[in-house]
Amino acid sequence: MSVDWLQVLDAEGNVDKSLEPALDNKTLEKFYRTMVLTRLFDDKALKLQRQGRMLTFGSCLGHEGCQIGSAFALEPDDWFFPYFREHGVQIARGIPMKFIYIYWMGSEDANMNLPPKNFTVAIPVATQIPHAVGAAWAAKIRKQNIAVAVYLGDGATSEGDFHEGMNFAGVFKTPTVFICENNQYAISLPREKQTASQTLAQKALAYGFEGIQVDGNDALAVYSATKAALQKAKSGGGPTLIECFTYRLGAHTTSDDPTKYRQNAEVEEWRKKDPIKRFRLYLEKKGIWNQSYEDNLVKDCTAEVEKAVEEAEAYAPVVENMFKYVYAEITPGLKEQMDELQSFIAKRKEG
Amino acid sequence: MVEIKFPDVGEGITEGTLVKWLVKTGDEVKADQAVAEIETDKAIVEIPTPKAGKISKLFGKEGDILKVGSTLASLALPGEEIRAPEVKPEAKPEAKPIEAKHVEARAEIKIPEKPPEMPSRVLATPATRRLARELGVDISKVAGSGPGGRVTDEDVKKFVETPTKPAEVKPPEVTPPEVAPEIKALEERIPVKGIRKTIGERMVKSLFTAPHVVSMDEADVTELVALREKEKKAAEEKGVKLTYLAFIVKAVTVALKQHPYLNASLDSQKNEIVLKHYYNIGVAVDTPEGLMVPVIKNADQKSIMELAKETEMLAEEARNRKIKLSDLKGNTFTITNIGSIGGLFSTPIINPPDVAILGVHRIRDMPVAINGEVKIRKILPLVLSFDHRVLDGAQAARFMNTLMEHLKDPDLLLVDVM
Repeated sequence: MSVDWLQVLDAEGNVDKSLEPALDNKTLEKFYRTMVLTRLFDDKALKLQRQGRMLTFGSCLGHEGCQIGSAFALEPDDWFFPYFREHGVQIARGIPMKFIYIYWMGSEDANMNLPPKNFTVAIPVATQIPHAVGAAWAAKIRKQNIAVAVYLGDGATSEGDFHEGMNFAGVFKTPTVFICENNQYAISLPREKQTASQTLAQKALAYGFEGIQVDGNDALAVYSATKAALQKAKSGGGPTLIECFTYRLGAHTTSDDPTKYRQNAEVEEWRKKDPIKRFRLYLEKKGIWNQSYEDNLVKDCTAEVEKAVEEAEAYAPVVENMFKYVYAEITPGLKEQMDELQSFIAKRKEG
Repeated sequence: MVEIKFPDVGEGITEGTLVKWLVKTGDEVKADQAVAEIETDKAIVEIPTPKAGKISKLFGKEGDILKVGSTLASLALPGEEIRAPEVKPEAKPEAKPIEAKHVEARAEIKIPEKPPEMPSRVLATPATRRLARELGVDISKVAGSGPGGRVTDEDVKKFVETPTKPAEVKPPEVTPPEVAPEIKALEERIPVKGIRKTIGERMVKSLFTAPHVVSMDEADVTELVALREKEKKAAEEKGVKLTYLAFIVKAVTVALKQHPYLNASLDSQKNEIVLKHYYNIGVAVDTPEGLMVPVIKNADQKSIMELAKETEMLAEEARNRKIKLSDLKGNTFTITNIGSIGGLFSTPIINPPDVAILGVHRIRDMPVAINGEVKIRKILPLVLSFDHRVLDGAQAARFMNTLMEHLKDPDLLLVDVM
């Protein structure tokens, strides 16, 4: 039993021709655009939070390779279960940025507007895993030709929900692809203190299915690994755990100060492996990218982000929605809470 | 005009310290450009401006504590004239609009070193107020060092320790040389606060005011070792760990009675030496947070067993930070037991207001010449640091002789006590 390691692009954007996925130039450009858009979206979110215009936010800076690479392997009919850092996957899946901002500004209304097959964000660690495995099992029973991608961090692998979900997926051979974004820290806890295992991918072996370790800063490697895992899942081959070996370049969330637990030198080393930089170099070698291409792209994406912010801030949330859409039909308990809140608001308006 | 606010950048923070301005009045800024660095309980964060424009006023100066929601700066939007911030209704009617230029000039006014008058309502937690009541301190007289001038437990304790404030002794100021960033990355910075800070301040004061003299000796404790070995078990049955330290504390009190100038302090304002006819022995204890010195009160009136028991108990309380403030005060002489950890000799710093401190080191087997023959004996190295303003070498040596006699022949302890 062993765990494979996959890298297609090195840090300088050199491609391993034997492993290069067959993607046309247009698709590659879309890859790159989504990564750049994600980074600008993310940076803007941090600024909004520091201006008091948004609530706590977890940056995905550095995760663009694992997120966009895997998202582009998914079909629209495949399910997507995020934890809370997958802004890149959400954008690639076509969730309007406006709604992603609205969610992090504190309104559940954003969840009502999710396109089909996109599950809501999970703030508690690893709770999305059993949900995703259940959805995959349901698809199997219904004989639907789809798979489920569930995202998790390195910290989630220490949770009971991870064990239960992985075990169930292994036993029932559910069409689940576990995408673990190992960014080396669970808030402040370094990876080597998370588990004594040499890799996170090898945990799959214990549950009786395949685990693979992928260079998470290499969007092409993540794409290939996810594509293969999804195909296997849909053809009855069961689940796969993909460990994307990456690094969170920013803080855990806006409430975190990473300088308290890691060295700047380490961050600088990882900056050299930036997923966007290496994809840019790859496109440059292919004759697609040049400076004016970059300038236009950044200009377009910035305008798109600014527009999304404007729309999000103009959006007036409806408080009742947080009660109405928990279940298909509102339960008596929730109805009571909703009535209480409504009369409180009415009274406050009078007073 | 737009106001740039300091929002809740953490989760439920209420205030932050303005670390650094990143812009100055009159600067043109782009939207999302950082204007200030603010340190909260959680992190140092940069606050960006929501809009582009020209900074027309900065509120507050570096080092100020800011409340969440307060205004950091006002920003004139493109097309707007820079003008004075609008006078709020609650402002005094005679307040005149200030020209931007004056605003800049005002920023240069030096703030006097003296802290501002304490507000009539003292900021302090109920626990701190209780501590002040217990120690008989009027909390309104204590200068607060906490955020917004809040009085902390430390402030109250410090106030008690220094009723009359002596001239502050400052160590020579050393400006650290500029460190290259790649070196900085390999360094770690630990804030000096709490016990660490108190130790530092007290030790600097002691070493820079009291001229220290150190004398060293070796006591032959072969018989004491035998006695302890013999009685250890009996003590254990009574639940007491019979330590050498207990014997040493006892011997020290006996020696102090015979040499009263060692159990004293110096009142430098009145130019008087205060001889103390009570014997409170401080015992330095290594705790995770730094050195603490619990005090055994009236040690001369306690038996060796009682001393062993009390030392153990106080040390435990100090290590768990459960010790009462009153058990850390009132020392007349201090013992530091370095031997349990290591080191052959050391030069301890006097623990104010004492005039001497005894360092006790590790007992070890040494060849000793006795009546022309080499014998292996148990040797205890002893170090005495004393204040030369109060004591001379001869007095110190006599004290050490008495102490060593009693450690060499522990039966004497019995005789002296009775």
